[in-house]
Parts: sequence; structure tokens; C-alpha cells
Amino acid sequence: MTGSMKGLVKALALGLAAACSLAAISSVSAEELSLKGKRIGVSAIGTDHYWDLMAFRGIQDRVKELGGEVIALDAGRKDQQQIAQLQTLIAQKPDAIIEQLGNLEVLNPWLQKIRDAGIPLFTVDTATPHAINNTTSNNYNIGAEIALQMVADMGGKGNVLVFNGFYSVPVCKIRYDQLKYVLTSFPDVKIVEPELRDVIPNTVQSAYSNVTDMLTKSPEKGSIGAVWACWDVPQIGATQAVEAAGRNEVKTYGIDGSPEVIKMVMDPKSSAGAVAAQQPYEIGKTSVDNAARYLAGQKVAPFTFVPAVLINKENAAEKGKPFLDAAEKAGVK
Amino acid sequence: MSATTLHTEAGASDETRATGKSAGRRFATLVVRLGAIAAFAAIMAYFVVFAPGFTSTFNLINVVEQSAILGVLAYGMTSVIIGGGSDVTEGGIDLSIAANMGLCAAVYATLLSMGCGDFLSVLAAIAVGMAVGALNALAVVGLGILPLLATLAVLNVAAGMELTLTQNTVVGASSPLLAFLVSGSFLGISALAWALIVFSAIIIAIIHGTAFGLRLYAVGGHPEAARAAGLSVPFYVSFTYVLSGFCAAVASVLTVSRLSASTPGSGELLLSVLAAALLGTVFSRRFVPTMGGTLLSVLFIGLLANGFQLLNVSSYWVNGVQGALILLVVAITSFARGSEGSR
Repeated sequence: MTGSMKGLVKALALGLAAACSLAAISSVSAEELSLKGKRIGVSAIGTDHYWDLMAFRGIQDRVKELGGEVIALDAGRKDQQQIAQLQTLIAQKPDAIIEQLGNLEVLNPWLQKIRDAGIPLFTVDTATPHAINNTTSNNYNIGAEIALQMVADMGGKGNVLVFNGFYSVPVCKIRYDQLKYVLTSFPDVKIVEPELRDVIPNTVQSAYSNVTDMLTKSPEKGSIGAVWACWDVPQIGATQAVEAAGRNEVKTYGIDGSPEVIKMVMDPKSSAGAVAAQQPYEIGKTSVDNAARYLAGQKVAPFTFVPAVLINKENAAEKGKPFLDAAEKAGVK
Repeated sequence: MSATTLHTEAGASDETRATGKSAGRRFATLVVRLGAIAAFAAIMAYFVVFAPGFTSTFNLINVVEQSAILGVLAYGMTSVIIGGGSDVTEGGIDLSIAANMGLCAAVYATLLSMGCGDFLSVLAAIAVGMAVGALNALAVVGLGILPLLATLAVLNVAAGMELTLTQNTVVGASSPLLAFLVSGSFLGISALAWALIVFSAIIIAIIHGTAFGLRLYAVGGHPEAARAAGLSVPFYVSFTYVLSGFCAAVASVLTVSRLSASTPGSGELLLSVLAAALLGTVFSRRFVPTMGGTLLSVLFIGLLANGFQLLNVSSYWVNGVQGALILLVVAITSFARGSEGSR
């Protein structure tokens, strides 16, 4: 990387940081934060997705930066294992626990037990009454923005294929509900029933075959205008399916900002219409700052929003690059 | 006359050599087996000394609680291995047990959420679990399909039925029985831990304390001899698959209580269940699966994850160590089999 490139990256990174500090005014005091002598337990349901891995890393890096000791637990997408890890973690009595994603129905009784044991609980992207603070993106915004972008690209009419397999995950519920709300103003945009179901694992393959089937079912061009998913891994499969079927009039929309998807949106020939890119690494770090502030006796708001950026065909070249650079820096492609 | 003598001598020396070889091999097996147990003991000793809070009663009860579901499933698997013989490729094995538990959990949680009471829902879960077990028995005993393949097929049937029922979603559940399993305790030991203790006592009593259990070993160890002695081999083998299905159903109730829901992904447990049943053979002198050995290895697997977490060693290591131990035990078992075969 040349010097001027490095400078550019740095400037962009600074811009991002400035945007963050605008959102969370309290991060002015970030310099004085410390977790010296503190043990922070971190429990994540899994790290197989780009978002999860970056947030998990952000938490661990920030705890170490602030001089704390981190007990990092990755449940490998197994509920049983996450519960066992949380149970043992409670017995370890850390100074605070940060919990990242998972099935709320499964987690809630155990998050309650964390609070009963007198351990401060912070969450990442997981809205629960038991957490002191939940750090996340503004999913109400994201959901509305991506829906509006989709409606605009469709010219206000047409049929949409919607993946709705994870309505039980709180952030997906918000994004889906926002989509529905936006569509109330555009009655000519219709969701194709029955909705599709995205799955974990084999998300990409399954989305690919679902979308291929639906395109085969509606063979005339223009009968389907867009594919929507509450995250961007199904979007990968959907985009590939649309392109393989030669149905380039169909555009795909998703949320998270995995590097692979950002690259698709940046490619003018790709059918990926837009993606709302979150900053999972920043989200992880910010949740640690919140925990540090709380442990230092400061007041912490019940939720903190870290800004997300809507990347579409028009702005992709400019807005997408900082995200790809951040991913490259973290060694994730 | 001299020829006969020669022949006898040759025969005798052959036999001596064979006995010597087999004794040497048996000694080597013993050394390796004790070595494996020593490795287990060393890991535990390390945890006792270095893992903070490892030996506290609270922590140990936690581990028993965390082992309950795996334990009940591993008993089912062990019974199938006992009855079908412990040859890894052709002997008894139930690959469908974890998926079966997932299906039973889905049935149980769905019925509860529809407003059926605990009694009916538990009964339905047990009926489904045993029906899946009976399907395994039909495929293995009735159709003569290799257990490895038959139960693999049934695994897919059970997993597919679970997906159809739940649409791959989380089904929340609450009931008096679940509340009791979650928060009940007696003598300072939680209900879930008691469930493992009581279930262990019953199954050990049946398999190791009755004539029925002894016959089961006979059927698995030497089916021809068992048949010659008048035992109905198909009955005993079928019984183990149905028992395995029953264990899956019991485990499903425990899992729904622990997760307050039926969740997708139960099939992931299969590897741990197999590990527990295979590791357990190390605790028997003749390398046969025993319920006590299975219990010890289930607790060992639980303590391994627990100790690593207390030591703040990455949880990623647990899988690796578990895999290495399975490899070790399977190697020792085949080694020991080899000595039996040469006799």
C-alpha cells in the first residue's frame, strides 16, 4: 500500500470514527476508560458469520486495550453449549458479562440468572430487559432505508421475494416490520406469498435454490422485481441465482455489509441492488466502553446505536471502500 | 510314532508361541489402557490444582447438570452397542439418537404450546421416540440393513420430520414439569442433576444387575452362541434400539427444560454422544461398553469443557482434545480386538 493510499484510508477511518462519536456523545471520555484488574466474560452464540466474528473480535480487542482480562466463549451455534458456558461463567463471577446474539427465548432465563447473581450484563445486538445496555445498529433506520431504496429501484411497483426465516431474532423482526411499514405507503409493491425461509447453515445454497425455484415459477420478465432478506448471506445466494437465471431486472437487498456483498454492490453488472453496512467491530468495542463506563460508576443509556451506511449502486465506489479496507485490515475477505 | 511325537511337539510349541504372543499383546493393551486412564486422571489433577473454583460443590453440580442430557443419550447409544456388538463398522450403533431427541423435543414443545398438558405431551414425546427406535429396529433386524446405514437413514427421517414440524424455528415452551426441572432442588442438588443420577441408577441396575442385562451382553458379544443357548437375538437387538429411542425422548424433555424451548440443531450432539459411548470402553477391563464407563466419560467430557473455561483456555480446544481422545480409544479398542481375534 502506498503512502498516499494509507493516508486516504486513515482519513476515511477518522471520518468513520467522527461519525461514531457524533452518535455516542459520551465517547468523548473514551480516553480515560480503564478495565485494569477487571475480568469481562464474553459469550457469543457463534462466529461463523462475518458480522458475528467482527463484533466478537471488537469486544475482545477493546477489553485487552483497556487493560482487562477477557474470558471469550464461542458456542459454535449450539444452544446447549452456550447455556453451559453461561452457567459456568456465572460461577466464575466476572466483573461484567457481554452477550452477543442467540435465541432470546433460550437466553432470557439465563440472562435473568446473570442479573440475579449480581453480575452487570451488557448485550450486543440483543434487546433484552435484563441488559444494562444493548449496543447495536439503529435497525429501525436500517430497515426503513433499505426498504425505501428497494421501492425506489423498483419504481414503486412490482413483486418482492422475502426471506423471513428469522423473525424470532429481534433485529430481524424490526427490519421486517419496517419493510412492511414502508410498503403500506406503496400498495403496488407486493410481497410474494408464501415467504421464503432462510436457514443456517447452508444459507447461500438454500437461498440460491429457493430463488431459482421462484424464478422458474414466474418465468416472464418483470414478474419479480426484487429479493429482500434481513441479513446479507441469503442475498449472496439470491444474487447468484438471479444472475444464473439471466433475470437481471431482479435486484437483491440485504443488511450487514459482509465484504463479499459490498463487492457485489460495487460491481455495476451485479444484481445486488443495495446493502446496509453495519460496523460490527465498532459495535463490539462500543459495548465494552459502555461496560467500562458502568464499572467506573458512570450512567449508561439502555441502548447505544452505532451508525450504519446504506451502500447502493450510486454511492458504492465511495461508501463501500472504507468497509472493505476495514475487513482487509482484520484479515477477513 | 516319532512322527506323531514330532507333530505334537510342533503343535505344543505353536500353542506356546501363540499364548506368549497373545499374553504380550494383552500386556501391551493393559499398559495402553492404563495409560489412557492415567491421561484422564492427569487432566483432572491439572484442573484440580490450576483451574480456579473447579472443585467447588457448586461447580461440580453445575457439571453434573450440564451432563444430564448427554448422559441420557449416551446410555441409549451404549445399550445399542452392547446389544449389537461393538464392532465399529458392523456392530450396533444408533446415529439417529440426537436427531430423534430433536424430533421428540419439537413434538413436546409444540404440544405444550398448543395447550396440551404435561402428561399428554410427555407421553407423546416418548411414543414418538420409541416409534423412531422401532423404525431403527425394523431396518436393522427386520430388513437386515447395516446399523450404520439404517440409522443414518432414520437420522434423516427424524431430522426432516422435526423441520417439517417446527419450520426450523424456535418453539418456546413452559409447563409445571419444566419449571420444576429448571428450579427444583433437593439436598442442594438441582432437579436436572437428580434426573441424571436417578436415570443412571436405574439403567445401571437393569443392564448390570439383572439376568436380562447379562443376556444382552451375550447377544452382543457372540450372537451365534446366544442363539444356540436359546436366546432370541432379534428381540434383544430390537429392544436396544427402542430403549435408545426412549432415552432420546427422556433427553428431549430435559433439553426443553434447559433451553425453555425446542430449538433446531440437536443433531450436533451426535458426536459427543458417540464420543461418550466409545470413550467409556476404556474404563472396562475387557474393552466392552458399560453404563458405568459411559457415565464416567460423560462426566469427563463435561469436566473437560468446564476446566478449559475456568482456565480461560479457548473453547475451540475442547473439540480437538475430544477428537484426539476418541482416536486414541478407538485405536486401543481395535488393538485389543486384534488380540482377541488371534486367540
